[in-house]
Amino acid sequence: MGRHVGIVGVGQTHHSRRRTDVSQAGLVREAVDRALADARLSMDDIDTIVVASGPVLFAAVNQPEKWVVDAIGAQGKSVVRVTSGGGAGFAGALAGYYQVAGGFSDRTLVVAYDKLSEGQLQYSISTLYDPFWGREFAVGIMGFSAAYWRARMDVLGHTEEAAAMVAAKNRNNAIDNPYAHQKKPVTVEDVLNSKPLCWPIKLLDVPPISDGAAAIVLASEKVAHHSTGRPAWIRGIAYCCEADNAAERSLMLSEPLALASRQVYRAAGITNPRRQFDVVEVQEPYSCFELNYYESLGLCPPGQAADLIASGATQRDGDIPVNPSGGCMGANPIGAVGVIRLIEAATQVMGRNETHQIKDASLALVQSGGGWANLRGCAVLSA
Amino acid sequence: MALSKVGVVSTAQTELRPAWSNAQHIDLISSVVTSVFKGTGLTIDDVDFIIDSGSDVLDGRSISNCGFLGALGAHHKEEARVEEDGLWGALYGVNKIRSGASSIGLIVAYSKPSESNVDLYWNAQVEPFYQRPVGFGQRAASGIQAQRYLAAHGIAVEDLAALVADRWAAAAANGTIAVDDVPGADAVLASGEAAAPLSHLMLARPVDGAVAVLIAREDIARRTSRNPAFITGMGTAMDTHSVAERDGLRLSSAANAAAMAYRGAGWTSADADLAEVSASSVVGELLAIEALGLAEQGRGLAGARDGKLVINRSGGALPADPIMATGLVRLAEASRQLSQPELYGGGNPRRAIVHGAGGVGMQNNCVFTLEV
Amino acid sequence: MYSAPDSYPIELPTFHSEINLPYTLTPGRAAGTFLAEVKNRRIIGSRFASGRVIAPAQDFSPADGEEPEAFVEAPQTGVLTAFTRVDGQVIGFIRLDGCDNEFPHRILARLEDLAAGQRVAAEWDAGVEQSVLAIKGFVPAPDAPVGTVKPLDATEEPLGVIPYAMKLDFEHAYGPYYGRMFDEIRENGRIMGVRQPGLDAALLPPREIDDITHARTGTWKACADTGTIRACSIINMEVYGVTRKVPYVYAEIVLDGASTRMIHVIEIDDLETAKKTIKPGTRVRAVWVEGERKGRVSDIERFEVIDA
Repeated sequence: MGRHVGIVGVGQTHHSRRRTDVSQAGLVREAVDRALADARLSMDDIDTIVVASGPVLFAAVNQPEKWVVDAIGAQGKSVVRVTSGGGAGFAGALAGYYQVAGGFSDRTLVVAYDKLSEGQLQYSISTLYDPFWGREFAVGIMGFSAAYWRARMDVLGHTEEAAAMVAAKNRNNAIDNPYAHQKKPVTVEDVLNSKPLCWPIKLLDVPPISDGAAAIVLASEKVAHHSTGRPAWIRGIAYCCEADNAAERSLMLSEPLALASRQVYRAAGITNPRRQFDVVEVQEPYSCFELNYYESLGLCPPGQAADLIASGATQRDGDIPVNPSGGCMGANPIGAVGVIRLIEAATQVMGRNETHQIKDASLALVQSGGGWANLRGCAVLSA
Repeated sequence: MALSKVGVVSTAQTELRPAWSNAQHIDLISSVVTSVFKGTGLTIDDVDFIIDSGSDVLDGRSISNCGFLGALGAHHKEEARVEEDGLWGALYGVNKIRSGASSIGLIVAYSKPSESNVDLYWNAQVEPFYQRPVGFGQRAASGIQAQRYLAAHGIAVEDLAALVADRWAAAAANGTIAVDDVPGADAVLASGEAAAPLSHLMLARPVDGAVAVLIAREDIARRTSRNPAFITGMGTAMDTHSVAERDGLRLSSAANAAAMAYRGAGWTSADADLAEVSASSVVGELLAIEALGLAEQGRGLAGARDGKLVINRSGGALPADPIMATGLVRLAEASRQLSQPELYGGGNPRRAIVHGAGGVGMQNNCVFTLEV
Repeated sequence: MYSAPDSYPIELPTFHSEINLPYTLTPGRAAGTFLAEVKNRRIIGSRFASGRVIAPAQDFSPADGEEPEAFVEAPQTGVLTAFTRVDGQVIGFIRLDGCDNEFPHRILARLEDLAAGQRVAAEWDAGVEQSVLAIKGFVPAPDAPVGTVKPLDATEEPLGVIPYAMKLDFEHAYGPYYGRMFDEIRENGRIMGVRQPGLDAALLPPREIDDITHARTGTWKACADTGTIRACSIINMEVYGVTRKVPYVYAEIVLDGASTRMIHVIEIDDLETAKKTIKPGTRVRAVWVEGERKGRVSDIERFEVIDA
């Protein structure tokens, strides 16, 4: 279907709590330079660019692609920005994928970023809420994320302990990630004892606030070989949503993620995700979400996510490593995260992951999303 | 595998009004999403994906698409928010269908500029260290653009007024745009200074509204629509951020975008029968007309009113600029003019050029070619 | 567009909403150096390998993204190339002597006295630093000699952050559905939604088209002001813009008679007790404000647990 589209070059900044040496535009340029160099291309070789970043209010520049275009030397080219809350990076990759698959481009550069240090994250995200109906109670996305987790605790057994195991796994995995900046080792006890912020979400269940950018070059089958002999082909990619306030909205399963995965698995020939995937990278805005993804992606049946994490199967040395890169816990420049997860997964199947190469990884699953936890997508990559 | 051809099945639009004071965003959106299916035999259930264009800054909500998913008909579908004019949303949608992944898509664009200070929306787009503090924004860009254009081509600002008056008259006749009084050329000149030398009526008037365009793979388009307009070429290009750095007398990114689209179509501006062109000001419209090849440089005024092809029969953006939706409205208007010429004075138009723009001083441009 | 059969148009003013945010923006090396140097009354530019000079300084050439090789000091005189007036303020493009670009700034003169090609000179604003507005604007300077770009051996440390504020005001239309709902809240102290298509349960907040089926919603229905918690969390941290004292419970509540949730808060004494006593399934009732209602969600001051 369409033309094969592969990731043929990747680049990300060394994410940090705060970069005071580069503007947003300069941050984007760093990632772009790295991805182009990795793809053995110059900006002249690029047909189109997709810029993705979180909500405008994060960093006070409206339609920032119109500013960063200069910094990346893309004047005169096709440039468009897509945005989707936390899923912005993934949404950018999706838009880029369709530019290539639809024949509009042979090589598309997708660059995603956020410079969260510049703004007031929680407050600006609170404006997600309807100003008439609920905004005065908003506590960023943490308030409702914690509430939905609480609902899953009793019904599905997503205990604080299970989430703490996720947090500890990811934080410890991040230590090896050269691009992460949050690198303090933690134990499950540390997580459980950390300060409740929006209980049950506690301090160590929460990723850092980061400045960072990440870029990938997508290429058609025709030209991929100019960049690499081993592209990470996108075998399936989808992004689905649900209305945030529906009577039937399941707080247990992420239905948009389940729907997206069904579509993607069909396209990619996945019938047993637990067995077939060699590595998984997911975007966990809080540790509790990773448990929800295990079930919504079909890695385990509903109610068994706590067992899965406890079994060690999703550790690096387990049979279905999830977030060997450290996930969001190592670095969380929100709008870039979807692309960072794609980079981590792509380099796994390309055999060149810089954090921790999973031996013989050939099939990878990526998840990303945002909004009211109601915008969700996934992709399958293989080399 | 050959790429599919994509057609416009149907379009729907709310009235474009200075202020929809008795409707919220979701009311405007759900209205067009409901209406667009009428007469097609299709329903929202047949739609594979939704692409929506809107602005967090205009809406007063972060991730504003998230709050509007239900109204968009996007529940349990693939949805994407393009934070640019809806014509770019259409470009995305066409690529999805051409790739073979989907067969029917809904493109929606909307805004309610009446609810906030539009100058702040534009000023916030300008980089924050050098330009924003001095007050440089859309109006200043339009004023300077006009000063240069008029000086270079020996045109007086009074000469522009008749064109503006024409556009307003066309909008009043259109039936979908709220126009209380149609200004004549004198009223245009007397409408107060907006950005010297331009008066207020010489700038595009922001209006509230929503538009939906239903697109489909060729076989479905032919099954569901009597005479669908097909999208045969698409191009887009973005200019440098700094207005001062751009060619002052030419919208070069619009010319690049047009060249891309014409290459895809296999024809050029000389072959078009009609055009729907966006603009932030009357001079912006002239520059766009020239960049699209519909007039020679400096001769846009003659081309705009008396050219061989019909430009902006709808009135264009000057009387009605639903920011974020203007280009998609142009697509809707042009499709209707091609598909149902009997409603637009008859004739047998076959080819249309559609243009959308975004950014301060029309930094970003997108061009489509349509054919029946 | 249609209204539900028993709706009527409401004449309402708009709903005012404000987004007011402080920022600390990073200008990057070039702008950071420019902004640091304005206190020395120097205008910093960037010189590129081609010899091209741009002022104010940029990290990347606006023409092609190329990075500069050095900072330079640009002269304070130049040529006015174009100008306009917006809300009484004249803004023009200036090309400083020896520089290859133009940039916008304020022109401190009457529009009528200006012509493209005129020479202008920077006028500084005493007491303003760390901003491009340390230059108050440019004034006509017909006799000013042509300046030259000078090399720089040392510059101030670039500013790492500058403070910025964004204030956006909105006047949101209620529309007939929210209009009636809030009218009922104010006048009658009751919460009304509209019935889901084909069902008896009410959607809150009400709207014309159902989010899930995209079908037209039904008639109006009053909900009770008691309900059940569907999801809740305990807020225990201070957040910019929120004045409520922590800890308290943030709750999604489905009122009796409704099917969708409203968001509100429950006061608690301590976190540990609340963990056990307030959870999905807990029954709650609205506590209305004393005195006059305004027609807002905050006319309900909070919810409280209904003891079994």
